[in-house]
Amino acid sequence: MEVEGKGGESGTTTTTTAPRRFALPVDAENKSTTFRLFSLAKPHMRAFHLSWFQFFCCFVSTFAAPPLLPVIRENLNLTATDIGNAGIASVSGSVFARIVMGTACDLFGPRLASAALTLSTAPAVYFTSGIKSPIGFIMVRFFAGFSLATFVSTQFWMSSMFSGPVVGSANGIAAGWGNLGGGATQLIMPIVFSLIRNMGATKFTAWRIAFFIPGLFQTLSAFAVLLFGQDLPDGDYWAMHKSGEKEKDDVGKVIHNGVRNYRGWITALAYGYCFGVELTIDNIIAEYFFDRFHLKLQTAGIIAASFGLANFFARPGGGIFSDLMARRFGMRGRLWAWWIVQTLGGVLCAFLGMISSLTWSIVVMLIFSVFVQAACGLTFGVVPFISRRSLGVISGMTGAGGNVGAVLTQLIFFKGSTYSRETGITLMGIMSIACTLPICLIYFPQWGGMFCGPSSKNVTEEDYYLSEWNSEEREKNLHLASQKFAETSVSERGRATTHPQT
Amino acid sequence: MNIHTLLFVSVLIFSLTESSRGRNKDRLFTELQNSIEVTAKPVKDSGVLEGGKDMVTITWKLKSSTKVDMDAAFKTIQIKLCYAPISQVDRPWRKSDNKLSKDNSCPHEIVSKPYDMTPQSLDWTVERDIPTGTYFVRAYGIDGDGHEVAYGQSTDEGRTTNLFSVQASGHHVALDIASIFFSVFSVVSVFVVFVMEKRKAKFEQRR
Repeated sequence: MEVEGKGGESGTTTTTTAPRRFALPVDAENKSTTFRLFSLAKPHMRAFHLSWFQFFCCFVSTFAAPPLLPVIRENLNLTATDIGNAGIASVSGSVFARIVMGTACDLFGPRLASAALTLSTAPAVYFTSGIKSPIGFIMVRFFAGFSLATFVSTQFWMSSMFSGPVVGSANGIAAGWGNLGGGATQLIMPIVFSLIRNMGATKFTAWRIAFFIPGLFQTLSAFAVLLFGQDLPDGDYWAMHKSGEKEKDDVGKVIHNGVRNYRGWITALAYGYCFGVELTIDNIIAEYFFDRFHLKLQTAGIIAASFGLANFFARPGGGIFSDLMARRFGMRGRLWAWWIVQTLGGVLCAFLGMISSLTWSIVVMLIFSVFVQAACGLTFGVVPFISRRSLGVISGMTGAGGNVGAVLTQLIFFKGSTYSRETGITLMGIMSIACTLPICLIYFPQWGGMFCGPSSKNVTEEDYYLSEWNSEEREKNLHLASQKFAETSVSERGRATTHPQT
Repeated sequence: MNIHTLLFVSVLIFSLTESSRGRNKDRLFTELQNSIEVTAKPVKDSGVLEGGKDMVTITWKLKSSTKVDMDAAFKTIQIKLCYAPISQVDRPWRKSDNKLSKDNSCPHEIVSKPYDMTPQSLDWTVERDIPTGTYFVRAYGIDGDGHEVAYGQSTDEGRTTNLFSVQASGHHVALDIASIFFSVFSVVSVFVVFVMEKRKAKFEQRR
């Protein structure tokens, strides 16, 4: 699969005329202008594959426990409250970690930052094999969950390697294929468990041994990133930083600029009710099918897996759909598409809890999975345009917001035995619909919002993005990257205004 | 078709529906007669029982207070391990239900034997895959159609006396050693990599 960037055609970027150092065509910053899925070419495509695979392994580890809960809960005598607390713990650690990861990537580069995190959280996965009490269970899930912050490093790394028109696809596919891990693990762990049992281990030893598989994969993926990856097309971060090749912005100002942009808070809330819902389902769905429909462990695992496996195409599809809508309708199209898809996801979620037939539960769950994961892709179709100076902060806030949504949802609806699982799922769908409504409030003066057109004061993209810099900073020419971005973002006006009928 | 055949067929259909209705009828626990006396004593004097090692001596017999011929219906006796209420708290997957087909409180069968009028006894070793929890023992008297008709249990009606606890383990020292080894390896690698990268950066700077 090859995605061509507009840069190569319209001639707004130049290709190097010097002997080609790269297998793929690149722009002035040596970022690739194409995306070739089946290539491992150094450094761009290699970075993509290393990045999504490491993120995938982290997802597998974080959600390795849920499909084996019917066995683990018997070994450790867990209560429904313990299980709920562990689910909350598994997604709460990375709220903080995701916010910090952006700065870590800035300081050390995505290669070192992500590999260091992945290697430091691997012990939590290994030590899961030795836990003896509910507290132990909650703690290992908490620490293993930190590894989900590799989402931020994935997006950061793709943004460093791929040029504007293809960065959306690169980011969407990398994120989608990483999230796939949450589904794959529901298949992998029960299979590994039964293999180990067939080799002679008892039930309560087999599940413990099984955790070494995700742990080892996590460690190996980090080593692959360290050995075969590099931060930037031209080399590694630290070396380049120290030699003064990279300009640095004031971290405090960047954070302040990001935090005071209300749109970032809305995307954080909305992402909490698409990605957050996805994380919650990853935690509860296997046990739900096992208990409600009295299925075997492997069968429940297969059904639960199909939810997460839809990420293979659903999340990238959401990103691509966002880009398609933007071509015709601009940013307003992106917002409408996002709101509709995410609301429909919420409606389907509400239905899922109300269905008592196994077949229909599976059908509704599959359709629901496509909508909720596409909504995640659509979210990150809007996020890159909210701020240019504080892109990292906005991405980090949104990503963290996803986890906060998962924490809140599990706290309110899936802790203990207050609500039955099916009621919890329905209520989660309703809350999702409610928390998606604020998307209607997102307004860009240069492009409009869902219900309003662009401002009558004729605000331009340049006005919007350069307003993030004050005049002193502009004198120092710190705003040049934002200027370039403003020029390319004119495409967000949609076809009606960029290609007027003459 | 003559009248005899018609009569025969209708009697056949009638008896089939009757017996199938009987088969489909949900047995309720409250309908059962408490006519079996059951005791369950751990061989160990005190403490928690370990799966695979400790034993429980289980005895069962018909209560002397029951009417004669009450046991005529029994064909098999099924001995089951049941959760005490304390092990069911906040664990909806172990819920008791009056409908026996929906009841999840006695998932483990210890033994199933043809009914013998004489008092029976069994030394049962707690299996290794018995979950951690607090238990009592219940016996069901089952008739020829596979339906429960009577029961007995080793505890009182409130299920609070004569309980025993089981601790499931599965944990091995070998696993701990492997965890420590791989964890140390992972964490040390982080430091090694950072040192190497710092050196490389200094080298690049000097160039």
